[in-house]
Amino acid sequence: MRSNVKFPGLFILAAGLAAGGLPVSAAKADIKIGAPLALTGPLADEAKKQELVWKMWLEKVNAAGGISVGGTKHKVQLVQYDYQSDGQRAAQLAEKLITDDKVDFLLAPFGSGHTKIVGTIATRYETPIIACAASSESVFDQTSGYLFGTLSPNIGLFGPMVKYFREKMPQLKKVAVLGRDDVFPKSTAQGISAAAKAAGLDVYYDQLYAVGTMDHSASLSAIKAGNPDWVYITGYTQDLILARKQMNDLGVKAPIITMLAGPAYKEYIEGLGNLANGVTSSTWWHQATSYSGVGVWPTTEAFYKEFVAKEKSDPDYIHASCAATVVVLQDAIERAGSLDKKKVRDAIAKTDITTFYGPIKFSANGMNAPRDLPIIQVQDKGIKVLAPADVKNSDMNMIK
Amino acid sequence: MKSRWLPYALFAAWVVVLATTPLWGSNYIVRVAIMIAMFTGLTLSWNFIGGFAGYPSFSTAAFFGIGCYAGALAQRAGVPMVLAWIVATVVVGAIAAALGAIILKMRGHYFAIASIGIVEVARLIISSWGSLTGGGDGLNVPLMSGGPNAVARIFLLVMIVIMIMSFIVTVIVDRSRLGFGLRCIQQNEDAANMVGVNNRLYKVIAYTLSALFCGTIGAAHASWTGYIDPSDSFSILMSVKVPVMCLLGGPGTLLGPVIGTAAFMMLEEVFWANFLDYNRAILGAVIVILIFFLPGGLLALRYRDIARRFGLLREPKMAA
Repeated sequence: MRSNVKFPGLFILAAGLAAGGLPVSAAKADIKIGAPLALTGPLADEAKKQELVWKMWLEKVNAAGGISVGGTKHKVQLVQYDYQSDGQRAAQLAEKLITDDKVDFLLAPFGSGHTKIVGTIATRYETPIIACAASSESVFDQTSGYLFGTLSPNIGLFGPMVKYFREKMPQLKKVAVLGRDDVFPKSTAQGISAAAKAAGLDVYYDQLYAVGTMDHSASLSAIKAGNPDWVYITGYTQDLILARKQMNDLGVKAPIITMLAGPAYKEYIEGLGNLANGVTSSTWWHQATSYSGVGVWPTTEAFYKEFVAKEKSDPDYIHASCAATVVVLQDAIERAGSLDKKKVRDAIAKTDITTFYGPIKFSANGMNAPRDLPIIQVQDKGIKVLAPADVKNSDMNMIK
Repeated sequence: MKSRWLPYALFAAWVVVLATTPLWGSNYIVRVAIMIAMFTGLTLSWNFIGGFAGYPSFSTAAFFGIGCYAGALAQRAGVPMVLAWIVATVVVGAIAAALGAIILKMRGHYFAIASIGIVEVARLIISSWGSLTGGGDGLNVPLMSGGPNAVARIFLLVMIVIMIMSFIVTVIVDRSRLGFGLRCIQQNEDAANMVGVNNRLYKVIAYTLSALFCGTIGAAHASWTGYIDPSDSFSILMSVKVPVMCLLGGPGTLLGPVIGTAAFMMLEEVFWANFLDYNRAILGAVIVILIFFLPGGLLALRYRDIARRFGLLREPKMAA
């Protein structure tokens, strides 16, 4: 027998369908910036970083009356949707933002893949879009001029570092590279290994470890046997804390130990204490750099102080890069003196400014021009910048 | 519900609704229509193995993903777009037939787990085979030229055509010896074997049919998006959603997959639009409730009883 209990379900269904027809109305504003964000799902932590800095920027800009377009100030509105870390939904929402919400400009979501998907849609609609967390050049190779990115290509992480270390340690010869078998850590491990070989160094150990590896002793023993001058390990914070501890337990020593991207995050230094001292790394941005330029944050310090006052923790390069996207957008709108998508696109393409985040000038493909990225070192449980010369605030210490 | 022609008329009406969205809706609505047509094709495909034969397959995402990559790689090698979709269909069909011959020896939970394993294995192979597939960086697919309106209309048409083709195959299977044999397998596999149904062959055919259009849809989707990567192409969520849609509508029927997909996707839109934070949890609860109270899907409801209860029908004259 079928019971009558099924009726409530039907009512809920019908009520839900009816409610869904009502559009979510939004306050009126002059400039609309659309942002598909992965607020839930695997990318949630990173997307929240984007949301946070964009809201910080929005408050500051609107408190000052908005963005000046041809002499009049226009308030700014951020229209955002959660795309649940799902690429198909990201595309769907980008289209909704452009056609239903009629946003003027877009900000890309986190990661190369989703940036590519959303960038393709924005390009079809000829809507300018700026990405803050895509460093693979393949993202930028077929978008015909509407997609821009504030991260410079990965390549800037490798060559300058090899060159710098060779200057500091002329007898540098034997290199061991251990990388996590995952998109970004894998490409950086392969990148540094290629750069080291090109510079004539002996990369005697060059392996990847599987995601979730809890014991690096086999790899580390092999590295120890080769008596390395430079050990380069990539992975996420937890991997790198583990690897550094096991290096210590097994007595693996080297004058230079580089880990990417561990030392850029404060959790790494907190987790390792004194053991973190001397470890070097690269980053797209660190608060220890001191840039000054245009935008609502005139200096690196101004951004850092405001961030810490608000969040009680340190910003990382994702925070900074994403905050830089909106600074670029504001600058371009002001220079264009118009909200016309084509004119703003042209203005973005001509950007040549310095911001709290560093210099921003887009290459022909839309990526921030390659530059020597900061090399940092943990010294006395704090972060010091070793290179490039214009932002350095300390000299390199060798370990042992 | 007595009329033999009712399912076809309803399906035709639904096709008209989807196909006319560019005339009355924004491009966002058109995109939703494309997604509905696409998922209806996937659900109709799943119905062959999951509905008719009663084998709980979770391989949909594997076939979709392999289709994405086969189509994208063919297009990158210079094969024209439509031909690349056909190549993807054939490749996926062949892979499904080979895999089916192996894993269809298992039944029930064991089969379900093996079919999930296929998704993971396919994803790992694609992401590790970096020299061919670009690994985790993904692949660019040649973009279709033309403005957003033209592109949306073309892919709406493509997805609707694929949906209609899978519906036609469903009708053919439903009326043929194959459909009868699969229903026998669903009810009692050993008994079916005894009365002369070639279980092994029928199951492999059903499994292959469940893969074919997934391959086409994957390849078309890749051309539409212009970019694919392993995590989006082999999403385990897709493997779960498609069976749920079919169960919601009514497995093993002609119209069940169509109704289930439409209902599920509209519910998803509604909950997503109104409950930003808890939409997944609410959707999950609704699915549990619907499947718990509607074990045969929406099609199994006695609409005549409901109508009578609301006074829409006077007397049960038909009830004999």
